[in-house]
Amino acid sequence: MRSPILRRLRLGALTVACVYVLTFLMVIALPGNPFQQGQHHIPPEAEMALRAQYDMDNNWVYFWQFLVGALKLDFGPTFTYNDWTCNQVIASSLPVSMLIGLMAVLIAVLIGVPMGVVSAVRRRTWIDVSCLTLVLLGLSLPTFVTGSALLIVFSVYLNLAPIGGWGTIAHLPLPALTLALPFIACVARLTRTGMLDALGSDFVRTAIAKGASKRGVIWKHALPVAILPVVSFLGPAMAQAMTGSFVVEKVFGVPGMGQHFVNAALNRDAGLILSTVLVFATLLVLFNLFVDLVCAMLDPRIAEGV
Amino acid sequence: MGCRLASLDWNIVGSMKLKILAAGITLLLFALVVYALGSTSPRADLTYVNPSGIHTLDPSRMSWTQDFRVALNLWEGLTTWDPQTLEPLGASAEFPPMISDGGLTYTFTIRNDARWSNGDGVTAQDFVRGWRRAIEPGSSADYMFLITDRIVGAADYVAWRIEAVTQLSALERLRDGWGIKETHAPAIARLPILAGIINPDGELSQQIEDLSIDWAGVYDDVFTRHVGELDTRFDHVGIEARDPRTLVVRLTTSCPYFLDLLGLPVFLPVHESIDLLRMRPEGAPITAEGLVVYDPQWTKPLYRRNGYPGLITNGAYRLSDWTFKRRVRMAVNPFHRMAEKMHCRTVDMLVYENISAAIMAYEAGRVDFLPAMDVPYDHEIARLSLSGERKDYYLCPVLATYFLNFNCVSDEVNGVANPFVDRRVRKAFALALNKKGIVEQVLRRGDRVAKSFVPPDVISGYTPPSGLDRDVEAARQLLVEAGYPGGEGLPPIELLYTPSDELVSQALARMWEESLGVGIELRSRESKTFAEDKANHRFMVARGNWYADYTDPTTFLDCLRTGNGNNDSGYAGARYDTLLDRAEAEGDTDKRTALLRQAEAIVVEEDFPIVPILHYATPVAIKPYVSGLYTNARLWFPFQSVKVDR
Repeated sequence: MRSPILRRLRLGALTVACVYVLTFLMVIALPGNPFQQGQHHIPPEAEMALRAQYDMDNNWVYFWQFLVGALKLDFGPTFTYNDWTCNQVIASSLPVSMLIGLMAVLIAVLIGVPMGVVSAVRRRTWIDVSCLTLVLLGLSLPTFVTGSALLIVFSVYLNLAPIGGWGTIAHLPLPALTLALPFIACVARLTRTGMLDALGSDFVRTAIAKGASKRGVIWKHALPVAILPVVSFLGPAMAQAMTGSFVVEKVFGVPGMGQHFVNAALNRDAGLILSTVLVFATLLVLFNLFVDLVCAMLDPRIAEGV
Repeated sequence: MGCRLASLDWNIVGSMKLKILAAGITLLLFALVVYALGSTSPRADLTYVNPSGIHTLDPSRMSWTQDFRVALNLWEGLTTWDPQTLEPLGASAEFPPMISDGGLTYTFTIRNDARWSNGDGVTAQDFVRGWRRAIEPGSSADYMFLITDRIVGAADYVAWRIEAVTQLSALERLRDGWGIKETHAPAIARLPILAGIINPDGELSQQIEDLSIDWAGVYDDVFTRHVGELDTRFDHVGIEARDPRTLVVRLTTSCPYFLDLLGLPVFLPVHESIDLLRMRPEGAPITAEGLVVYDPQWTKPLYRRNGYPGLITNGAYRLSDWTFKRRVRMAVNPFHRMAEKMHCRTVDMLVYENISAAIMAYEAGRVDFLPAMDVPYDHEIARLSLSGERKDYYLCPVLATYFLNFNCVSDEVNGVANPFVDRRVRKAFALALNKKGIVEQVLRRGDRVAKSFVPPDVISGYTPPSGLDRDVEAARQLLVEAGYPGGEGLPPIELLYTPSDELVSQALARMWEESLGVGIELRSRESKTFAEDKANHRFMVARGNWYADYTDPTTFLDCLRTGNGNNDSGYAGARYDTLLDRAEAEGDTDKRTALLRQAEAIVVEEDFPIVPILHYATPVAIKPYVSGLYTNARLWFPFQSVKVDR
């Protein structure tokens, strides 16, 4: 399998390179002055000096300097936060986003898979309808609504969690749960659909005919097949959980990377835009590869295609 | 269920790989928990929230109030302000200083007991270092004008330095084989002289056909010459450390509010240890482009490199911890003269991007002080404060104005004729506004209706002009006179604003449509695009706001001078400029104030390059158990007198 993995890594590197070029082109095409801070228009002299300092007076030089730096894992300075480098910003925020994203995906699997299985097995019963309703709610309610509701209930009324902020383990469950809700819904739906297909398959009928118990058929025969689409979904889901956590970070005051992903674009902070995009693109490529490898472990037929 | 599922997978696949995978994920999760959550420390004596954190702690680069707020507790300038009245008080220097030459020379004596947080004495040279950083290309930013506009020789020095930066950047590109760009235009005229093609008299010193230029040599010559002149040129700037305790400052013109400026970040001192982190490529004091650059990590308390001991400050507090986008912790500077008397020994500034969450944390008693409560339900907060239901919510009238800019300069905007070049149209639009309706019915957050650009009752000794009241009939008549009876002939009027102004913009559009019969096109733009459109006069009407930099009317009025970088309306009023010039030269305070008032009257009663809408009131929350923390019109909060009896 080593050679296919190398091939995928090469393709991944090409993908990230394309993302870099496209993002760079968009960055230089964006209107707006990255050095404009506060209410004063920056004096032309000060702006000229800053552009010279950051090599922003020559796009081509900046393109190569940033690229060479990025290959050495040095993303250079940010224009918005003068005292911090992009590396420091990422080092401080990426683990936070990864932790919340990973927790959210774990919660989604631990709740969504059993929910999907039960829903499929008890098809067209009140349990199925209840599960589908919860799924619908999870998908339709925006996270700023669910997050705020959880914050008010658990932090203000029940006093079970801190009100926003970051720093202790108690700060973790509410943002992770909020972020998990739409993923729970997706995982549950994918599992339900997969289970319905699997339960109607020949190998399941054969297992039932051979006298296997109902529980054994569901958990041992049908689920391993039904879960494959869920596993495939988890790669992009993980990346989405990390990049899409902006709202959750905002609601709970979590110092994650989603805010930089959005604010860097709003501030026209070229260094931070490029570095966050490159980090997320690389993670997305790696998560997808990782998930494909896990799928290959679960189903040897897939291994041939990896 | 999860356990069942887990045990099932092992049985089905029967593989160690999945076990390793699960163990790996668990380990990763554990590592993330340990790393991402970080360590906790006991609660500080005082905890407050700055919603978006701070941008920088480098005094020469600061532009934002929240950054100023932290800096003014960490550093101490020559003066500071009374937290209630905002009158200047002595700080690192004895007060008042000696003022001579008709207000043009200030001589400050640094206090004997002024100490840095490592115990070193504060010297006059520390101020020279800090002020010089604030104007040097490479370490300066937008507030450098406070020095260049007022101190003798500072503007010339900066111009000379910038010219050198432009030349060196252009020569560097030529040396490396790149073409030069339009940004180097100021240097181009001098290049033939620098390269020796033309002598200083303008005569050709080489035959064109023999032209071969050693750009590397030219670059080296210019660079070496510039480095050699750096300090001698700076000697002409009116900032002089006459001895370790005497600082002499010479001004270009008399500046009655100069002492009010000296607490601002660009006027703060910087400890000599920063020189350990100055970038000295190949031993030169400037970079290849001629910039003065320092390792930007110098503001970190625990940064150690090249013998640098971490950030040293001279204020009532020292920086104890700065975790990016999470927390700034300040602890008492043990060497500060007030250290023994200060009750509030530690202060935490927390970051809550969501102000609603910050308000909830305040209500739950986890935060003691909120210097801003900018939330969609701020009208409810204003009601609670005004009705007296919440005695810990304060509405502070702020030295700031929300106004509309009329484009006075462009004949066309986006291909359409711009009617606002006509003063009568501007006045008509200004008179048609129901500002009271905006303040009391649309926003309802306790702001004050504005008839003047400078907020009244805040700047001692200055009463702004009374402005004009709403008069729809007069507005319609003015449109008739301008050739647009009933709004006929006017193009659709574009109103430029940011999404946060949606409500007000809709109300404005409705008012103009109903009272003047004109069509309004709302053009909402995100903040950077908005700022660029505004700065380049790509608008007919654009919203604006201005927060005072110092407590003097000129902080507002200078914005409308011809050619001022912040004059978004493009207004060029000869009479207005003359009055401001006369005020600047006037030594008598009363006469100066009268001249400023006359100038402002031209703006808000005759020419209308802007129309003021409201003066802000900002809600602030302070727990009843916190004393010694006062609200003021500039929202600056020194903590050294604060006492917390939680």
